[in-house]
Amino acid sequence: MIQAEHLTRRYGARVAVEDLSFTVPTGQICGLLGPNGAGKTTTLNVLTGYLAASEGRVIVSGHDILEEPMAARRQLGYLPEQPPLYPEMTVEEYLRFVAELRRVPRAERSAQVRRAMNRVAAADMARRLIRNLSKGYRQRVGLAAALLGDPEVLILDEPTVGLDPAQMIEFRTLIRQLGRKHTVILSSHILSEVSAVCDQVLILSRGRLMAQGTPDQLADRLAGRARLQILVLGQADTAAAAVKALEGVCEVKADPESEGRARLTVTLDAGAAPQQQAAVSLALAAAGCAVLRLEAEAMSLEEVFLQLTETPQEGDQEE
Amino acid sequence: MSAIFKREWKCMFSGMLGYALCAAYVLVGGLYFWVYNLLNLYPDFGYTLYGTTFAMLVFIPILTMRSLAEERRSHTDQLLLTAPVGVPSLVAGKYLAMAAVFTVPVAILGLCPLVMRLYGTVSLPKAYGALLGYWLLGCAGIAIGLFFSGLTDSPIIAALSTFGVLLLSYLMPGIQSLFAVGSLLALGVFGLLAALAGLLAGIRSRSLMLGMLVFLALCAALLALYALRSATLTSAFTALLGALGLFTPFENFIYGIFSIPAVIYYLSITALFLFLAGQGLEKRRWS
Repeated sequence: MIQAEHLTRRYGARVAVEDLSFTVPTGQICGLLGPNGAGKTTTLNVLTGYLAASEGRVIVSGHDILEEPMAARRQLGYLPEQPPLYPEMTVEEYLRFVAELRRVPRAERSAQVRRAMNRVAAADMARRLIRNLSKGYRQRVGLAAALLGDPEVLILDEPTVGLDPAQMIEFRTLIRQLGRKHTVILSSHILSEVSAVCDQVLILSRGRLMAQGTPDQLADRLAGRARLQILVLGQADTAAAAVKALEGVCEVKADPESEGRARLTVTLDAGAAPQQQAAVSLALAAAGCAVLRLEAEAMSLEEVFLQLTETPQEGDQEE
Repeated sequence: MSAIFKREWKCMFSGMLGYALCAAYVLVGGLYFWVYNLLNLYPDFGYTLYGTTFAMLVFIPILTMRSLAEERRSHTDQLLLTAPVGVPSLVAGKYLAMAAVFTVPVAILGLCPLVMRLYGTVSLPKAYGALLGYWLLGCAGIAIGLFFSGLTDSPIIAALSTFGVLLLSYLMPGIQSLFAVGSLLALGVFGLLAALAGLLAGIRSRSLMLGMLVFLALCAALLALYALRSATLTSAFTALLGALGLFTPFENFIYGIFSIPAVIYYLSITALFLFLAGQGLEKRRWS
């Protein structure tokens, strides 16, 4: 189990992660989702104790990562974005080194190293120099290293980046298997990957937690959204103001077009039921804007994700 | 700690670097031994060692440059700093491995007095006392190199800064004699040091007031000293420069003095820089 309580991490004046709290129970796979620069890697580095949190704390299996670092780190296996490999060592030498570093008793080392190599299907490469391995195998060796010492919590930073599609599927299957016994936290910027593998999803944007839940919950909550494309005759501002006040409307974008027309893009919270559409068109009519065309479309999870992670950016600019 | 020691040692001797460094060192040592002791028949092995101290200026930066900088560059520090190993044992493992590599050529050079003994009378305690001092000097230099390697992620910059610092301390006796002048200069230098101490105190405690107070207190003490006993200030300045001359205390050993202060000096330099290297690693977590 791993708990994060009100994590904040600053680099000088820049805030990379702000007030992040979550708990991942044992046997669960948690996905950290967000675009590049959302603070995923920083979050994982803070969770593993590589970086210290500016505020808040991390508790791994009951041990605070900064107050009882040795006990907490024993329960942590970390695969950073770039696997921490020594190119001049062979795979087996490297894994033996990590096993010793992670305090695996001497008698168990060989067995554990072999088991880890089999687990990630890298046993054929045992005697190869790491410098000669392909990206996929490097990733596997990195994962094997994270498994040594049988840690309770596994933290994987973008584990499938740079793999070919077949390897990606293999890796996801592997992560799902690992999730049965371990607590797994992985980061990704690919929504489909996270929703396929994870039991819990955290969506991060600009260091803040935007949404949290199971993939199904998120899909229900988010995919329920719909969008209306409306063409009206009248001022863009008036039309937007008329629609914004309505219940169930969460976002309105208005662009003026030629001949006194305006195009409105309205995002609805709870689907595009006919009553909703009627309410929108009535409100527009009441404001003196005639509706020329109205189309409803459902939003995919991808679009919702994009919207969620983009909104605060606009907010920041307004501030 | 033993895992890191073993890896570091293997890494040195899995490529050319370890062998090349040791071979070059033994070559230089052997050359001096040949010229001083065999051709010119000096019975003192200490002189030979003294002649080869300059080789450390090259040997130590190359030996230590990769130790921490390379880990940072290849992101393997993420493995080390998240493993259940404390920063002290990490630094100790790295340091001991490099000290062990340095011990190899020193041990080989240790055969020279035995060779001389075959052909004449040689004071072995004197020769091996000098060798011990020599070894301690090298180990202190390695600690300095390790510290500089931790400051950057570029081995080249680490090597150059270590070389620069070692060169400066090698030339310190000459610099010392250049500066053996008026107390006003000493006052200036100490004033600068006081400003530095004040700045550090201010940054450390995040209080401008405290930094200023430290600076003012130190300046007042300095001015009082200058007004009352300016000679103390000058000698303190010379002593300060002397303390920076890493290679000077070793000279005692050549003259056959087993100098305890020199041993303590080298051990404290080693401990200080290892501590600073550890602090540097720990600090990166927070910055």
